[in-house]
Amino acid sequence: MKDTGQSFPTQQEVATPPETQPTRARERRKPKISDTPPVAPPPARLSDYEPIIGKSQLDELHFLADALRGKAVKMVNSTALGGGVAEMLNRLVPLLGELEVKTGWEVITGGNDFFEVTKGFHNALHGGEYTLTQQARDVFMLHNEQNRQRMRFDEDFIVIHDPQPAGLIASKTEGPARWVWRCHIDLSNPNMEVWKFLQPMVERYDSAVFSSPAFARQLSIPQALFYPCIDPLSEKNKELDESYIQEVCDNFGVDRSRPIVTQISRFDRLKDPLGVIHACKMAKKYTDFQLVLAGGSAADDPEGAVVLKEVMDAADDDPDIIILDLPPWSALEINALQRASTIIIQKSLREGFGLTVTEGLWKGKPTIASAVGGIPTQVIDKLTGALVHSVEGCAYQIRYLLTHPEFALQLGRNGREHVKENFLMTTNVRRWLLLFRILSGN
Amino acid sequence: MTRPANTPFEFKSAAHLLFIERERASNLTELLDSLRSCPEGSIFQHTFRTLEEHHFIKEGFSNDFAHWAYSELGMVGLGERLASLDVREFTSLPALRARLIQMVEDFVAQNPNARDHQAESPFYFCSSSNIVLPVELRAHNLGEFIEGLKQVSVHSIHYHFIEARLRRKLETNDFSLWLQRDLGLSRAAGLLNHIDIYTATLEGVKRKIVQVLQSATN
Repeated sequence: MKDTGQSFPTQQEVATPPETQPTRARERRKPKISDTPPVAPPPARLSDYEPIIGKSQLDELHFLADALRGKAVKMVNSTALGGGVAEMLNRLVPLLGELEVKTGWEVITGGNDFFEVTKGFHNALHGGEYTLTQQARDVFMLHNEQNRQRMRFDEDFIVIHDPQPAGLIASKTEGPARWVWRCHIDLSNPNMEVWKFLQPMVERYDSAVFSSPAFARQLSIPQALFYPCIDPLSEKNKELDESYIQEVCDNFGVDRSRPIVTQISRFDRLKDPLGVIHACKMAKKYTDFQLVLAGGSAADDPEGAVVLKEVMDAADDDPDIIILDLPPWSALEINALQRASTIIIQKSLREGFGLTVTEGLWKGKPTIASAVGGIPTQVIDKLTGALVHSVEGCAYQIRYLLTHPEFALQLGRNGREHVKENFLMTTNVRRWLLLFRILSGN
Repeated sequence: MTRPANTPFEFKSAAHLLFIERERASNLTELLDSLRSCPEGSIFQHTFRTLEEHHFIKEGFSNDFAHWAYSELGMVGLGERLASLDVREFTSLPALRARLIQMVEDFVAQNPNARDHQAESPFYFCSSSNIVLPVELRAHNLGEFIEGLKQVSVHSIHYHFIEARLRRKLETNDFSLWLQRDLGLSRAAGLLNHIDIYTATLEGVKRKIVQVLQSATN
């Protein structure tokens, strides 16, 4: 049996506390989860998406690709493993290939000195303090030049992801190849010294692509808008058997007979987990529910471990606050928790695009999220979810949605449609095909 | 239902790609400046296209300018006025631009203090480039046309039923034109132009079109 996304208890059930005493919080903190990553499933094929997006949408992808058949694309980024860009390319490259748009993917190399400089650039472009030295400029340019000498650029479209390999643009010639700079980071408030260093390189591209209008800069080249996306067939988002969802909840001590309010995010102050606990404590004076805070492992992040401890202290052994510190390979478990949830929260203080919001919306869940970063693009207040600006606002929306299940269901339905229309992997494929066709003038 | 049409109806659709434009506005002064200087593609994107992007919503969403005035500027009155704008009254983007500017100017004239009130977040002007897509569906009579309507996506409905006015510079749509010209169904053609696109989802609009045509044959 598939999850229907309709996990709302009746108002009567919401208002009535359970008779049985829930398991103590401390007993739940040792979930049964593998110590090692499971073997990755085979990637989905294009036809696997038809039940989700429909035949007409799939036909449109084939039509758009027809005019590009025989063309070649090269994607270049700085890492093959880990991070959202590599994850996205792992799906995008084979799907474009299936549409007979031959797409290769290369990763630049560099020593520790290069990646220290690019990490500094990354933080500086997000607005952090940074002093750009001549040595940093030289290291950046040297490694870009070494990669440029090593690589060939014979393709029709060259797509360079993020600032690290931006200097490869030096290989652009007067020939027909079109160069695209895909910027995945927020450039709204950059360290100007670093941006002024990169800008002349960026403006040599034929087009830039940003994830949000708010993340873009004034540039002399066209700037396309590609929203980040989720893969509806990935472990994190695919449909799950009801029995598996139940198993995960049993394993984590989550009681599905009562409402479940969930925030999925790493234990980071910018995700405001303490604010979520505070909001839930306020809302619990009026309505019964459990809070699940599930995040990535804090084992290799000293600050994450500190925040996790703060969260545990704030929870104060409340049996209705379930804190789960999960390893990175917990995609299926996170999927199950999201599907079991009555409401999804993302009360971030600062956010990129907020793909955990996209995931919750895709599962048809009424979502309460802060109006920061890319979240308002996804959560249109009172139409596809509820936008909040404070702990108090969050608490009120929890109470309201738990006691107005029909409205909450409508938000969930609209949210899922919004994701289907704008934030799925197949939409991303469509955008690339469109951009390549526009750049090649057909 | 089976009377052959003079020429078959060819269903099409359109794919759009968004581009970020230079204009952005944080208050009504900047909104007016940007409305005057932005490309026509921006006017199209934030009125016609946004209706398609949010086709699943039937309450409270008619165009991006109205939504921004309401949610980011907190100006309910301006939001209501902008939301009352029906894109089907326009057969050209310059006329639509002029109406938008006029509405904002009128509001500012009546509410001078509103001019420089800062929005919670800016309005970012975008535009869209589109490529027309064939759907490989042809209707040679009304029966086939109704069956075709049931199969095509809401994007095809938007292309033929809403965007068509700009393309044709006429106050009608592709469906009504064909029904009238090629099947002689003037009454049904007229009824389609009275379907309210702002109080239904595009799926709902599609169902209503089918319903009108089925009634016309009974």
